[in-house]
Amino acid sequence: MTVVQRVLQRFLLLDLFAGLSITGRYLFRKKVTIQYPEARPEPAHRFRGMFRLDEDRCIKCTLCARDCPIDIIYIDWHQELNPETEKKEKVLDRFDIDVQRCMFCGLCEEACPTEPKSIWLTSKTYELASYDRWKNLYVDIDELQEWRVRPEYTDEEVE
Amino acid sequence: MIQTPSNSRGETLFGLEEMELNFGPQHPATHGVLRLRLKVDGERIVDAYPIIGYLHRGTEKLFELHPYFQNVPHTDRMDYVAAATSNLAYVGAVEKLVGLTPPPRARYIRTILAELQRISSHLIWLATHAIDIGAMTPFFYTFREREEILDLFEEYCGARLTLNCMRPGGQPYDLTVGWEDRCREFIGAFPAKVDEYEGLLTNNRIWKKRTVGIGVLAPEVALEYGVTGPMLRGSGIDWDLRKAMPYEAYGDVDFDVPLGHNCDTYDRYLVRMEEMRQAARIVDQCLDQLPEGPIMAKRPRVLKAPKESETYYSVEGPKGEIGFYLIGDGTPNPYRCRVRPPSFMNLQALPEMVKGQLIADLVAVIGTTDIVLGEIDR
Amino acid sequence: MPDVLSDYLLWPLLKIGIVLAAVMGLITYLVLAERKILGFMQVRLGPNRVGPWGLLQPIADVLKLLVKEDVIPNKAVKWAFVLAPCLVVAPALIIMSVIPFGPPGASQKANWFITDINVGLLLVVALATISVYGIIIGGWASNSKFSLLGGLRSAAQMISYEVPQGIALVGPLLLAGTMSLVGIVEAQRDAGMWFVFPQILAFFIYFVAGVAESNRNPFDLPEAESELVAGFHTEYSGMRFALFFLGEYANMIAISAVAVTLFWGGWLQPFSSVEWLGFLDFGLPAGPSGALWFTLKLFVFLFLYIWFRGTFPRYRFDQLMDLGWKWMLPLSLFNLFLTGLLKIVL
Repeated sequence: MTVVQRVLQRFLLLDLFAGLSITGRYLFRKKVTIQYPEARPEPAHRFRGMFRLDEDRCIKCTLCARDCPIDIIYIDWHQELNPETEKKEKVLDRFDIDVQRCMFCGLCEEACPTEPKSIWLTSKTYELASYDRWKNLYVDIDELQEWRVRPEYTDEEVE
Repeated sequence: MIQTPSNSRGETLFGLEEMELNFGPQHPATHGVLRLRLKVDGERIVDAYPIIGYLHRGTEKLFELHPYFQNVPHTDRMDYVAAATSNLAYVGAVEKLVGLTPPPRARYIRTILAELQRISSHLIWLATHAIDIGAMTPFFYTFREREEILDLFEEYCGARLTLNCMRPGGQPYDLTVGWEDRCREFIGAFPAKVDEYEGLLTNNRIWKKRTVGIGVLAPEVALEYGVTGPMLRGSGIDWDLRKAMPYEAYGDVDFDVPLGHNCDTYDRYLVRMEEMRQAARIVDQCLDQLPEGPIMAKRPRVLKAPKESETYYSVEGPKGEIGFYLIGDGTPNPYRCRVRPPSFMNLQALPEMVKGQLIADLVAVIGTTDIVLGEIDR
Repeated sequence: MPDVLSDYLLWPLLKIGIVLAAVMGLITYLVLAERKILGFMQVRLGPNRVGPWGLLQPIADVLKLLVKEDVIPNKAVKWAFVLAPCLVVAPALIIMSVIPFGPPGASQKANWFITDINVGLLLVVALATISVYGIIIGGWASNSKFSLLGGLRSAAQMISYEVPQGIALVGPLLLAGTMSLVGIVEAQRDAGMWFVFPQILAFFIYFVAGVAESNRNPFDLPEAESELVAGFHTEYSGMRFALFFLGEYANMIAISAVAVTLFWGGWLQPFSSVEWLGFLDFGLPAGPSGALWFTLKLFVFLFLYIWFRGTFPRYRFDQLMDLGWKWMLPLSLFNLFLTGLLKIVL
């Protein structure tokens, strides 16, 4: 810039006015606020939220428990003779997940060999807060199968 | 720079002793739990002594307990702002140790993710640096951009911050339908946004007064301390791992590496702003050149490294060179995994940069060092 | 006698009540306006949950601050600790008693201001100086090293910007020839133009010094969060902190009101001599229309304050003092010299 331009810019505070004009223009633009909880952003298809398990599809291979980086999946099974098919089958005793330590990394889902997978994390639920301290921290097999809907926003007291 | 003379008894020019001040672990300006013990004489800082360890979680020990591919989520949580780069460094190190080669499509996808992550990390740097110096609005503008990047990541791998998006051998998922278009849309609109941030800050006389001549880091000192990344390039040394030792798909794309000349905070600011633009350019080219093909190399179910093998692999992260040193011993678990965190090395140069400056400048210098305590403490 | 009683006791008390209520209401809603406008500039909505558009938010804030625990540090000097916030708020409110919101009327009670003394400008400048005491006493009485340092720095900043501010105010004083604020506005009416046009430099210096006086961005280092502590009001909580906060906004309003009166024509409507722009008096008689114009101009300046906060980074303390002594003071003296010269020549 020439000397004259620089002097003018210095004394007419043009750089400050440029900054003011940017923020001034934003006064009239559309705002990006989402009014949670009435409007919620929809998570993507692959979003890793809370788990779901499907006991029927599970073949009790315990690959998910082995692959967990923090070892929070606890699986117990035993062999039983199924009277209908005359074959020895595995029966699931316990399938618990300690949600306190889970980091929702998805490695258990990747390890599951069944097609379609028996354990998956795409229930898109990330709103896991509850009023009871011991709820939702250590889920057993029944609760795992029931994480199907996201909690709705209601005005009533949540039990 | 006025050096206040002091005699052997610790008395200074005005006959007062130097005061020791604790810039504590809980402070809005230290970007994490960093504790600085400052020796001040009035307003001038005579010495600064960083004390770290408040966020130590034993990550390197955790690496030894699990097989190679299960450790990828742990690398996310070190530098939580730039997770994809840590992932990339780790899987690159494992591949080098075990002897896998990822297919070309996987390499291109990794480059795109790493560059998007670079943009996201620099946006956070700009937000926090500006708000520490007093300008509040760039924070909100940059987070709006970052929201779009996080949406892209969420669509690709399911998580926004702790990505877990790479595996040794390739990529776990392929790009979803329409991801490329959305990415292109974002990249097309991005340079205009960077112009906006520059309009608010670059020529602003108050910004210049706060950053020009502050936190000067001479090139020799930077090399001595092992500083890398924009801190080094702001001091005029042209060293970028993406150009010097190209990895992934960086050899096939065309980009510039910005350099600074005056070694001060303002130059580092300009370097990082330009890096954001160049990153957008790289993503554009990668999207154009994206090859078809498989995304995961053929690999055994359980990865085992040969006995007594070791390797070091590093990538150019947004904060500097992040490297992994792995020692394998024939089992599925690594014997030792040592992380070279860039922020740790950069933090060492902090006392050099603040000697003789005022306390108000300390905040600016911490901002320009761009440290993330998760990486420093692991 | 009844006339004197009603003219000098009843009506002024009533006006004081109205003005005080209006100014306090304006201060609380100014806080909301700042949050909303800052939000809009930062591409987000401000508070909008408490009441439509967040209009009940100031009430919620006031209630919260009132019920907070009143903490006084153990070794603090109690009387000074309690006195300090009052010394900051009171002068700013007292300034509003001489500001003319509208034209003088036929009698005392029809005046659109509380009072008009013939040294009104001097009173304004003197009162602005008293609030510095409040800050020093507040910082010292907290019995904390950092509060003291923060208070001293804030006081130094305010004192050093009062000098160029005062000298800048002498410019319109010379042009008007009287120190009474009503007289200055009437001089602008007689001259046919607002004093900002011949005194643009003085206005600029006055406004920037005013921003520094009220410790606002870009001059708010003494109370910024990225400083070590929050400055002189670290130890204050609850309603006392609210009083400091209110004092800052009351200062903003007082400085803007003085700027409007001295430079931008007070209650005068623009282009009053042009016939076809006569609708600009809103169809109201002279009194209410003047008050409305005054309020509109005041809002413009308050918006400018908020706009500055949303845009600029802040100056470091020594750069701030540099600016005040090395740039503002010589410029204001130059302006004074020029005005005096032109007054003699023309």
